[in-house]
Amino acid sequence: MEDKFDRGSALTIFPSDRYEDLMALALSFLIAALVYFLV
Amino acid sequence: MVYTKRTLWPLVIGIVMVGYAYLVQSGQMEPVIKFLNTGRYVGEMLTLGYAFGGVAIAAGLWHLVAASREGHSDYYFSTIAGVMFIMMVAFVVKWGLDPLMANWGRAAQSSLGFNFASVMNLNYVVMGILAGIIVVNVFKVPDWAENGVRLSRLGLKTGVILLGALYSFAELAQLGKLSVILIGIFVLGSVWLVLMIGVRRNLPNSMTGVLSAGVGVCGVSAAVAAAPVVQAKSLEIAYTIGTILLFGVLCMFLFPIVGKSLGMGYVQFGAWAGTGILNSAQVAGAALAFQPGGIETLKVAEIFNITRVLFLPIIVVWLAIWYVRREQAAQRDVQRVDAMQVVISKFPIFVLGFILMFLLSSTGIFAPARHYQGSYFDNSDKALMKKDRSGKEINNHLKAEEIATLQKELDKIKRDDQKAALTRLIENKKVISEEDDAMVRGVINSKALSKEGTAVLSKAHRVVRHTAPKIAQFRDLIAWFFTFGLVGLGMQITVSSIRQAGGQPLVIGSIVGVIKAVGSLIVVMLLVAETI
Repeated sequence: MEDKFDRGSALTIFPSDRYEDLMALALSFLIAALVYFLV
Repeated sequence: MVYTKRTLWPLVIGIVMVGYAYLVQSGQMEPVIKFLNTGRYVGEMLTLGYAFGGVAIAAGLWHLVAASREGHSDYYFSTIAGVMFIMMVAFVVKWGLDPLMANWGRAAQSSLGFNFASVMNLNYVVMGILAGIIVVNVFKVPDWAENGVRLSRLGLKTGVILLGALYSFAELAQLGKLSVILIGIFVLGSVWLVLMIGVRRNLPNSMTGVLSAGVGVCGVSAAVAAAPVVQAKSLEIAYTIGTILLFGVLCMFLFPIVGKSLGMGYVQFGAWAGTGILNSAQVAGAALAFQPGGIETLKVAEIFNITRVLFLPIIVVWLAIWYVRREQAAQRDVQRVDAMQVVISKFPIFVLGFILMFLLSSTGIFAPARHYQGSYFDNSDKALMKKDRSGKEINNHLKAEEIATLQKELDKIKRDDQKAALTRLIENKKVISEEDDAMVRGVINSKALSKEGTAVLSKAHRVVRHTAPKIAQFRDLIAWFFTFGLVGLGMQITVSSIRQAGGQPLVIGSIVGVIKAVGSLIVVMLLVAETI
């Protein structure tokens, strides 16, 4: 995919890899909380 | 700029998903499900069909009636259509193409002499990635889906972090020791080899440095992390990424075929893929392609992958020192870069997320205490009496003919402790303790009994091990996060990005990549026991 995105990069919508990591971290712990409370 | 591209497609996708779930629920898909043998997926067909279909319909209606205004909400909402597009491809591949290919493979076996679907490893993971590659290179990803496709790496990273919930201390200790030794040898060895060959072939130090990190550690992210300390140019990073992608994609398809033909087990294959494949995403792809019906191989492979990511700081510091020395020896001006600063700013912290999730899980909040690999021991009569779908009670104590099979074969067992455990199993018609369960597992793994005898022991072991519901939920979620990430990853593998590979970096990368893949295969086959 060509680098044609003016926000993020061709591989991610986030401004940096670190930002993407933090989003993955937040999403994972949100899912873990849902599993803990709902299952 | 407004990112949401107005289109009817999310609405169409949503209607198809909800319609399919409804047909499954009403029983009208029963003949198709029976023909494809996909009865085990009915639960997820309903849940995911309604859930994603509902979201896609809402997004489609929003596309129709609401005008998007420039801003963060428009940017992030614009990803929904692409996510639905990837999920639609994943559903078609997992619930349709995969079982259809398995049927065709079996049907053609008598005329071809082999099961082509099995030999070519045509399962949903491989076909999902292939579908993504075909979509992007033959048809082009629709512009309304592009932002969603750029979320696939987030899916893979989330899957890796959630995977942390599935390990126990005992499991991590066993795999961790092995992975540190294997990864230590192969990461440090391949970095050293690239540096040596690069110097001999007079490659620029910056090119050699960035290539060594990419080939040695964990692929693209390692190359990007090491680039500042060796002052690599954009073109050199592009060469490295092209080489890693080309080699990684080939390995992702070839490793599972080789692994199956060599009869490798989950632990052996996971160790090999986690060591020998250059890029992290392709490690996950190969592991799931090898074992599409479960995530045991993925768990092993990811431990190895995470171990090598943990080597990244060492490699970055090593390359910083190596680069400065080489440049000074050539009497060139070199601008010193703070290696520690680079490590802190570039280290992939989702790996720390994995460790945090493991620590959280090891407090026992997701599975009963003393769980191992998410399963726990319970041999109470209540646990051994199960009900099938029709409500009929099933007694999982050993039956008379199963006991007779074991009695006939008892003399084949040479170890006294194993023999005593089997005697207690015969007397009680069930495994009576965790210690006896370990003995039973040992006999199964030793393959000392006949096929029938081993099947009886496997059943006796299986009925006293129970998977915690929360852990089972994590497994399903993780498998879907990886499926989403890998189909999306396929949509990012373009011919133009692979074409960036070439020249000396491709030659050196291929030499070291092959040595690493073959070397790790030999070491794993010789040293890694399947029963670890």
